[in-house]
Amino acid sequence: MFEIDWNILLPSLVVAGLVLVVLCVDIIRPDNKGGVSGYLSLLGVGVAIWVSLSLWGRSPTHGLGGMLFLDNYALFFNLIILAGTGLTIFVSTGFLEREEGGRSEYYLLILAATLGMMLMAAGADLIVIFLGIELMSIALYILVGFFRRRTDSNEGSMKYLLLGAFATGFLLYGIALVYGSTGTTNLREIELAVAQGRVYTHPMLLGGVALLIVGFAFKVSAVPFHMWAPDVYQGAPTAITGFMSAGPKAAAFAAFFRVMVASLGDLSGDWSGAIWMLAALTMTVGNLGALSQRNIKRMLAYSSVAHAGYVLVALVAANERGIAGGVFYLLAYAFMNIGAFAVIVALGRKGDENLEISGYAGVGFRHPGIGLAMTLFMVSLAGLPPTAGFFGKFQIFSAAVEAGYIWLTVIGVLNSLVSVYFYLGVVVSMYMRQPVGQAHAVSMTPFARVALLTASLGTLYIGLAPTSLLQMARQTVSALL
Amino acid sequence: MAVATSHYLILSAILFSIGVAGVLTRRNAIVIFMCIELMLNAVNLAFVAFARHLGQADGQVFVFFVMAVAAAEVAVGLAIIIAVFRNRETVDVAEVNLLKW
Amino acid sequence: MDQWILTLLTFVPVIGAAVILCVPGEQKNTIRWLALLTTGICMVLAVWLFNAYDRANPAMQFVVQVPWIPSFNIEYHIGLDGLSVSMVLLTALITLLCIPASWSIEKGVKGYFALLLLLQTGMQGVFVSLDFFLFYVFWEIMLLPMYFLIGIWGGPRKEYAAIKFFLYTLAGSVLLLLAMLAMYFNTTDPATGENTFNMLVMMDQANHSEWLRAGTIFGRSAPLMLWMAMFIGFAIKVPLFPFHTWLPDAHVEAPTAISVILAGVLLKMGTYGILRFNYQMLPDASQYFSTLLAVIGVVNIVYGAFCALAQTDLKRLVAYSSISHMGYVILGMSAFTVHGINGAVFQMFNHGTITAMLFLLVGVIYDRAHHRYIVFPNDYHEPELRGQLGFGGLWTHMPIYGSLTMIAYFAALGLPGLSGFISEALCFLGAFPVHRTLTIIGTLGVLLGAGYMLWAFQRLFMGSFNERNKDLPEINSREIATIVPLAVVVIVLGIYPAPVLDLIAASLSDLSHTLSAHSGMAANAF
Repeated sequence: MFEIDWNILLPSLVVAGLVLVVLCVDIIRPDNKGGVSGYLSLLGVGVAIWVSLSLWGRSPTHGLGGMLFLDNYALFFNLIILAGTGLTIFVSTGFLEREEGGRSEYYLLILAATLGMMLMAAGADLIVIFLGIELMSIALYILVGFFRRRTDSNEGSMKYLLLGAFATGFLLYGIALVYGSTGTTNLREIELAVAQGRVYTHPMLLGGVALLIVGFAFKVSAVPFHMWAPDVYQGAPTAITGFMSAGPKAAAFAAFFRVMVASLGDLSGDWSGAIWMLAALTMTVGNLGALSQRNIKRMLAYSSVAHAGYVLVALVAANERGIAGGVFYLLAYAFMNIGAFAVIVALGRKGDENLEISGYAGVGFRHPGIGLAMTLFMVSLAGLPPTAGFFGKFQIFSAAVEAGYIWLTVIGVLNSLVSVYFYLGVVVSMYMRQPVGQAHAVSMTPFARVALLTASLGTLYIGLAPTSLLQMARQTVSALL
Repeated sequence: MAVATSHYLILSAILFSIGVAGVLTRRNAIVIFMCIELMLNAVNLAFVAFARHLGQADGQVFVFFVMAVAAAEVAVGLAIIIAVFRNRETVDVAEVNLLKW
Repeated sequence: MDQWILTLLTFVPVIGAAVILCVPGEQKNTIRWLALLTTGICMVLAVWLFNAYDRANPAMQFVVQVPWIPSFNIEYHIGLDGLSVSMVLLTALITLLCIPASWSIEKGVKGYFALLLLLQTGMQGVFVSLDFFLFYVFWEIMLLPMYFLIGIWGGPRKEYAAIKFFLYTLAGSVLLLLAMLAMYFNTTDPATGENTFNMLVMMDQANHSEWLRAGTIFGRSAPLMLWMAMFIGFAIKVPLFPFHTWLPDAHVEAPTAISVILAGVLLKMGTYGILRFNYQMLPDASQYFSTLLAVIGVVNIVYGAFCALAQTDLKRLVAYSSISHMGYVILGMSAFTVHGINGAVFQMFNHGTITAMLFLLVGVIYDRAHHRYIVFPNDYHEPELRGQLGFGGLWTHMPIYGSLTMIAYFAALGLPGLSGFISEALCFLGAFPVHRTLTIIGTLGVLLGAGYMLWAFQRLFMGSFNERNKDLPEINSREIATIVPLAVVVIVLGIYPAPVLDLIAASLSDLSHTLSAHSGMAANAF
């Protein structure tokens, strides 16, 4: 008999239990429009956040046959993921009501995806990471196509499915090659095997690493594996787009960082060049792509590609400051981006309409609160002080300078300069353009207001007083280096 | 002549490449999906071959997971493709272009 | 009080802005008075500071230093020396006068004044920061309110002007950010042995790394590259040729009060930055670029003046005159002499007051006539007016306005007895021993300045009265109240410049001596 340290499982267990509860509620009350499930999910997410926080700061352990880690790194990502999920549920209640698409499966799937993400962040074995990715991805395929009568939603879903499964194939083949050359799928043992030179054939290992990078690059939407992002972001129900841009991206980066730095860190001389290229391309293509977009969801899709590039810069640096910076940035990004999508949901009209940036003309004066919040999010995404986005970027770039990647920093900084143009485009539309046609009433549910307020305050708080969160981010680093 | 591990691996690589080529060139969503399944099975073959070569069961276990996940993916995938077909009466990815590819 | 004065001065406007945001938007007058009250408090604090500042002490005063983000050694570190105290006073004065100058704004009053106050916080913060990171944050914070103030309340091409202003300045900030990171990683605080953003530590070259002294980057000398990065960052703000093109557009589109702040305070941040960062952190490199600075200064003077001569739009003319006048500052500081640097800082202060007057006066006529053409341009929308004088003979019609304008124009062209003369003379005096030829070319600017100012004055106020303007009312008491304080400052400092010169002298002499002690980098270093 082996002892089970239940603490390791606890955060995932809470969410897994929640999935089952929501499922049962659905069985008992099949006619509910998801309201009850929504409240239950929020409660559960709150509990999971509390559990993650209470486990914070323990000495890192791993267990369940070496399958899961319990360390600050996993817990920090739990917080990012759960914050993203919680905010999404807040936004979703009113959204589903307006779109008349309320079904409790919606929350079930969001929770299942959340569970998958948490496993990705905590996975100590490539099997667990793979299962986490698939649990998350399959739930997201359905969520993207949740409005099944809408063709754009269908199409986004199909494209996501085909390209996502395609990427899974690469990831798996990479895992197979790494397994073949090191004889294990356990991350710690891979690290040992690489360190001690117990590698079957070195070229095969490198091939495996390359395929792993391709697989993860798809999941984090890095150029040139980003083609799905704009379509999927545009097609998905808006609340889900916000969800996808925060949690799943963070979780994919969590696994990516863990695998590359902790297990394959000794090979960084081999892979950092590739990631360098990836980062430079991702930032540049993402920002240039966003420049010409008129649909705000599509614009934010390209922006999310670009932001993946900034986080990749942190991976290139792969030093203490860089990892802390990347982790921190993902947290900041979750708040500002979900906030932006909360605004898009609030300004949207039935049928997920009113998504053209030009349609936001006059919003700043008709709805001052929403306009102010959106300005804050855009400023933060553009990386201007005193917001979360600025301090996040500052950390990443300072890490890159510290590690000696001056050119990459220059590219990154120039990119954030370019990005200001299209983020401010939204602000220009809201404040400086004359509105066309009738003013539409904007009704926000109290839940949506809470989401917007939380995201705004979070964005400001992280920018102005980052100390405590920064220290938490610093404490995650020991799990990797 | 004994079949060496390398033979399995080469076969696996060939199958994987066929799968990738199929995904990139075919236009019917169902066929693309089948090609992806081919890629996954190529991976399975590689896993089993490695497991035999290393003399451990880990690889075999991984294959079970891959198969189970692939089944789930197929279930969801086909449902999505059917939903697209209902709305558009086509599953040709070149025609499903409301959103830019 | 010593501990709190600078913090109060910086953050009282934010509190004012927050209060204004809580007032219902319809109560426009309440909002206006609240804004006036806030800036009034700041002015009182500034006057207190003016009295309390120890003129004999060249070091930083009223220093506050508390940790902000300890893991990066970022501190809330503020303080004042002679260089910053003059700018802080100028900021408080100009912002105070901008509130009455904005009294007639009717659109989005709440947002306007809240942004204006936020802008004040950014400006004060820039001048008092002693932590590079904090400085950068304030530097950027200031950008957004300015962007909105031009973009929402501006003229017909406001959107273009606002984004142009924003992107130009931000491009500069990007270079500044890179320079900041480079400085950070190459400065070690002797007290802690860690990297630091503390500007005072950065100013002591003993704390610099070997790389920062003699290293290379991209195959070139590191200190020189770093100096260049910071210089371009600040030069865009000044703005120095060839980065100046955003300025005329921004000025033409901005509402009057915003132009005043832009020319009166924001431009000074560029020269302040050069003096504070380039000069004090990298003195060797500054020596190396001395001639370049002088050349750029002279180009600014002459080019700005020629452009001003060619303008038909009065506001554009004033904008180009700003470019020309900021050239004096650069020329003055390029020689590192005591006179030159004192002159440069004094010129910064004087240009702030004089150009503020000029813009306020343009605003007065624009509010009445709804155009500000000296001569209607050839593409004016009313064909019969093309090529005609826009005004003319206003003197008899608006005598008070005319006399105030005369003071401002004479001050701008450097008439002895007004403050501009003293600072320009000091700049030339300081630069002459080092850059003889360039200084002589630079004096051409004075001639040209007299040319465009007097020519404009003649076409506006002399000659036969243009009957189109017979309904224009005389300048009102609110407008007089905004302009007269500036006129008083200009006249008093012209006769008795000691109040400001005493304030800045101690710190600047120190700076000048430090700079002169550095021999400069080897000529082949770049």
